[in-house]
Amino acid sequence: MADRSGMVDPAIFEDLQARIDEETTVREELREIVQSLEKQNKAVQFILARAHSTPAYACTFGTSTLYRSAQLTTPVSKVISDASVAVEDQVAIISKLSQAASKLPYYKWNTMWSRQIQDATFGILLCGWLGGNGSDSKPGRLLTIEEVGGIMKVPVNLKDRDAFHLTIEEYLQALISLVDELARLARNSVTLGDYLIPLLISQFIKDLHAGFQILNLKNDSLRRRSDGIKYRVKEVEDVVYDLSLRNLIPKDEKDEKEETGGVVVEQPGAW
Amino acid sequence: MEEPSKRQSISPVMAMFEGFRSELDEHHDRRERVIKASRDITAASKKIVRTLNKPLPAFVTKSNAQYWGIIQTQYKNISRDLQGLNAYRYGRNITGGNQEFMEALSFQHYLEHQNLISYKEAKNYVAKLGEEGGPVLLSTEDYILGIFDMVGELMRFAITAMATSGELPGTLIEKDLPSMGSHDEQSGDSMDVEQPSTTRPPHAQKRDVLADLRELRLCLEGLEPSRGSKFEGDAEKKMTVMRQCVEKVETALYGLIVRGQERPKGWIPDLREERRAPEAVEGY
Repeated sequence: MADRSGMVDPAIFEDLQARIDEETTVREELREIVQSLEKQNKAVQFILARAHSTPAYACTFGTSTLYRSAQLTTPVSKVISDASVAVEDQVAIISKLSQAASKLPYYKWNTMWSRQIQDATFGILLCGWLGGNGSDSKPGRLLTIEEVGGIMKVPVNLKDRDAFHLTIEEYLQALISLVDELARLARNSVTLGDYLIPLLISQFIKDLHAGFQILNLKNDSLRRRSDGIKYRVKEVEDVVYDLSLRNLIPKDEKDEKEETGGVVVEQPGAW
Repeated sequence: MEEPSKRQSISPVMAMFEGFRSELDEHHDRRERVIKASRDITAASKKIVRTLNKPLPAFVTKSNAQYWGIIQTQYKNISRDLQGLNAYRYGRNITGGNQEFMEALSFQHYLEHQNLISYKEAKNYVAKLGEEGGPVLLSTEDYILGIFDMVGELMRFAITAMATSGELPGTLIEKDLPSMGSHDEQSGDSMDVEQPSTTRPPHAQKRDVLADLRELRLCLEGLEPSRGSKFEGDAEKKMTVMRQCVEKVETALYGLIVRGQERPKGWIPDLREERRAPEAVEGY
């Protein structure tokens, strides 16, 4: 068939293929970075998982005064410092990703790394909750999306320009992972003889649950996963119930709970 | 780090989530506007294609004006939602409409010019529809997937034309090109279908819908999507349907050549019984 009289100008498909090839190159470059991030995420999780088997707060927070001013010297501080080092490596990879991705339309590519960024956010949140990442070794703090962005050295919730950033959805997904993990920690800390952490976790999860309740979520993965939070609330309540039923919660601590428990956010009304 | 005061412990979380809520609501509203527009564009495009699907180019313009109007309005209304960062954010919500519109646009372009509209032309066309809200993005994926669908339309067009006129439409060729239709058609009814295969002009000069379909097929098959992309999967699905569309025309032509004489004019080759496709295949 003579090209001249043909239907398709060959330049059309040559141009298309060139565009596709360009994208293939970009995709491979990104995939490499994302894979190294995934690896580093696992390293962070590996370290943080030790929190479940490290007797942590019972001795340190024997009294409420200590609870507020404690500088952790228990093994959990080692978990936190190890994790903080690993998070630094994580941040280095994220910076690399941010640099590469900021040259591209964000939403064209973000599915490639969204999952890994969620996991990284979760690691940072958990580390912060345990007392690391600028939480001054006090457990129970919720890092805001801005704080996570600050640690990651990336902007958050960008709207006015097209660059790499942490989205609200990713942060919320990570919060749900945090809730799941803390529900597990509540039981495990009791096993280790710490009867105070469950109180702290219970209030924390309840606050987050209330927060998720006011969101108008569509029928997406965020909705499906956040539906599970209520079960976590119940799980931890059961732990607290078991403890109080057996009088395992010291009386004065019970009263202190109101003051010290719950989500502590340092951010003054940034929203 | 300052000591948080007693009651402050709850309100910041709610304040934070209230912030998230308004952000997410805004996102969902925008998303829904885009989806709605995408649906309307799809519906209007399909209507255009239906009307276009007549073997006479004379039908092309008038009745479709209202649908072009709808499409124009829809694109204009959502163009503001699809600027900058959001062009790709809602890309997957508008892609349906874009593809369907691409199908209509390329089909109309084919009927008018007998060639394939280029990506640049199509992109510029869609961008202009955004009007004051800013250009609407037509991605290469939207374009290519739209072209895949357009093959189905060409198939329908070819089959319908064969049924009504008893020959493969070659009449659409521009006047300066050798027209196959004028060669083999003596008159509609008494057309000798076996003769033309020998008296036809050499292959290189032949331009009919089937030749165009085959050329398109080769081009589409030649594309290599990047591995692991969503586009790869989309293209693969459409590839099967596209191939079947081309084959349907080939089969129909075979039927026409072999048994054409015995059949009354207006008879439609019943391919559905001869070849039953397992998956969703473009019907007539």
